[in-house]
Amino acid sequence: MTKYKVTITNRDNVEYEVDAKRPILDELRNQGVDLPYGCKYGGCITCAAKLTSGDVDQKRQVALNNWQLDNGYVILCVARAKSDITLEIGTESHYKLYRNPFLEPLKSYQLKADIASKEDI
Amino acid sequence: MNKVCCGPGYASPIEAINAPREKLLYTIAIYTGTGIQKPDYLATVDVDPDSPTYSQVIHRLEMPGIGDELHHMGWNACSSCHDDSSMSRKYLILPGVRSNNLHIVDTATDPKAPRLYKVIEGAEIKSKADLSGPHTVHCLGSEIIISFLGNAKGEAPGGYLQLDKEFNIIGRWENSMGGIKFGYDFWYQPRHNVMVSSEWAAPNTFMPGFDLEEVGHLKYGRELHFWDFEKREPVESFYLGEDGLVPLEVKFHHNPDSTHGFCGAALSTNVIHWWKNSDGKWQWEKIIDIENEMHPEWPIPLPGVMSAILVSMDDKYLYLNNWLHGDMRQYDISDPHNPVLTGQVYMGGLLGKSPKVNGVEVAGGPQMFQLSLDGKRLYVTTSLFSTWDNQFYPDIREKGGVMLQIDCDPENGGMKVNPNFMINFGKEPNGPSRCHEARYPGGDCTSDIWL
Ligand code: FES
Repeated sequence: MTKYKVTITNRDNVEYEVDAKRPILDELRNQGVDLPYGCKYGGCITCAAKLTSGDVDQKRQVALNNWQLDNGYVILCVARAKSDITLEIGTESHYKLYRNPFLEPLKSYQLKADIASKEDI
Repeated sequence: MNKVCCGPGYASPIEAINAPREKLLYTIAIYTGTGIQKPDYLATVDVDPDSPTYSQVIHRLEMPGIGDELHHMGWNACSSCHDDSSMSRKYLILPGVRSNNLHIVDTATDPKAPRLYKVIEGAEIKSKADLSGPHTVHCLGSEIIISFLGNAKGEAPGGYLQLDKEFNIIGRWENSMGGIKFGYDFWYQPRHNVMVSSEWAAPNTFMPGFDLEEVGHLKYGRELHFWDFEKREPVESFYLGEDGLVPLEVKFHHNPDSTHGFCGAALSTNVIHWWKNSDGKWQWEKIIDIENEMHPEWPIPLPGVMSAILVSMDDKYLYLNNWLHGDMRQYDISDPHNPVLTGQVYMGGLLGKSPKVNGVEVAGGPQMFQLSLDGKRLYVTTSLFSTWDNQFYPDIREKGGVMLQIDCDPENGGMKVNPNFMINFGKEPNGPSRCHEARYPGGDCTSDIWL
C-alpha cells in the first residue's frame, strides 16, 4: 500500500499520511481534520483546497475550470495523492477560486475542460 | 381557525387575503461555503410588531450535518387539501442542495421552536431514484413532489422525486422528461391539467459557480416546458432564446381558473408571460425587459439577474428583484400583457445606489422574498447561493445576509423600506450566516395551489 505525506500549511504545517488509492478528503477526515464537503463526487466545489506542491490525480473532478486548475486548486473528495503534497485547506484557501465573471471574464482556454479551446495553452 | 370540517390553508385566494396577519416566519440560514464549519439552520423570525422580540431571530433549528446548503423549502400540505380534514400543514421540507438530504421539520407542535421529524438521506434518494440537487417542493393532494436538477452524478436534466405523506420515497414522479435538457422550478394549475417547468443548469455546472461563457456553450437553460399534468409528461416546449436566458422562477396566477403565468429569466432579466388563447393554444411573450447597466469600472454591462418573482395573492402585482443592480420592483399586472411599474426600492447591489439600509451595510442584493397574504409586507433576503455570493459579493463572508421588510401599498401601488425591521444575520451567535427563502406557518404567496 503506497502512502504519501500531506502537509497542511495553514494548520501549523501538521503532517498526515494518506493512502494513494483513497480520496484525500476521506483520508484527512478519518484522521480528524475538519474539512468542508458537499456532493462527494467532485461536482460542487465545496471541498476545494489549494495544492502548493506535489501531484494529485483528480481526473474525476468536474467542478473546476482551467483557470482554477491553473491556480492550483484540487477537489479533495475525488483527488488521490501521487506524491508527498502540501495543501492550504478551507475557505481561507479560496482567494483565487472565485471571480466575478463580469469583472474578469474567462478566456476560452480557461473554461472547463469539456468546452475549453486548445489555443494559447 | 381550525374548524373540524377543514383541512389546511384556505378555501380560496380571497379567504387567504383575509386571513390573520403573520406573526412568525421561517427562513433558512446557511454556513455552507462561508468558512464556518457549522450546520445550516432554520431560523424562526418574530414579525409581530407587538411582541417584545419583534425583528429578532427567536429560535434556530440546526440540521444534523454540515454542508447541506439549505435553499428552498415547501409544505407537506397546502390549500389544495383544504377540504380534507385528515390533512394538516404540519411539516416543512428543507432540501439540502449539496448534500441531497431532505429534512422534514415539524412546525406545528411548537411553531416558535420547530423540531426535526425525519431525514431522508441523500444516498437513499440517489440509489432509489438516481437524483441529486433538490430544489422546489410542492404538495399534490396527499403526496409531495420535488424537482431535482441532476442525476446521482450531478448531470442534467434530473427529474422529480415523489414522496408519500409519511415521507417514504415512492420513486420518480414523471413518466418521461421528454427532450427537456435542464430542470429547476415548477408550478401547476390543476383546472387546466398543466404544469410549467423551467431550466437552470446541471448541478455540476451551477454548484461550483457562474461563468458567463458557459451560457454561450448551452450549459444553462433557455426553455420553458408545458406538461400534461395527469399524464406526467412534457407536451410542449417554448424556446425563449436570448429573451429567456436562464429561466428560473415560475408562477401561475393564484386564481385557479386563470391560465396566465409568469417566469423570470434571470440572466436576460426579463419577465416572460404565458397564457392560453381562445383557440386553446399556449402563447408566450416578453412583458418586462430590464436593461443592463454599465458599472463604471467593468468591461461587461451588468445584467440585473432576476433570480425570483412573486405574484400577490390577489394577482394584481408582480414583484421582482435585480440581484446585481440592487433593486426590488413592483409592477401592476392587472393587464398581464401590459405591466406598469408602480414601485421600486434599492438595497445593496453592485451599483452602489443604497449600500446601507436601516443603519446596516448590505452585502449582496435583494434576492428571495415572501409577501404577506394581504399584500402589504414583503420580506426580502440578500444571499443567492453560496458559491455565487462568493463570486459577486465576497464581503458577504464577513457581513452575512440581512432580512428587510418592504411596506407595499396594495391599493395604489408603491413600496418603501420599513425603518423598524432589520434582521442582521451578520450578528448570529456562530458568526455571519446567510438567509434565503422565507415561509409563514399558515401558508404564503408562493406555496398554495387551489384545485
Ligand atoms: S464535495 Fe462536492 S466537489 Fe467535493
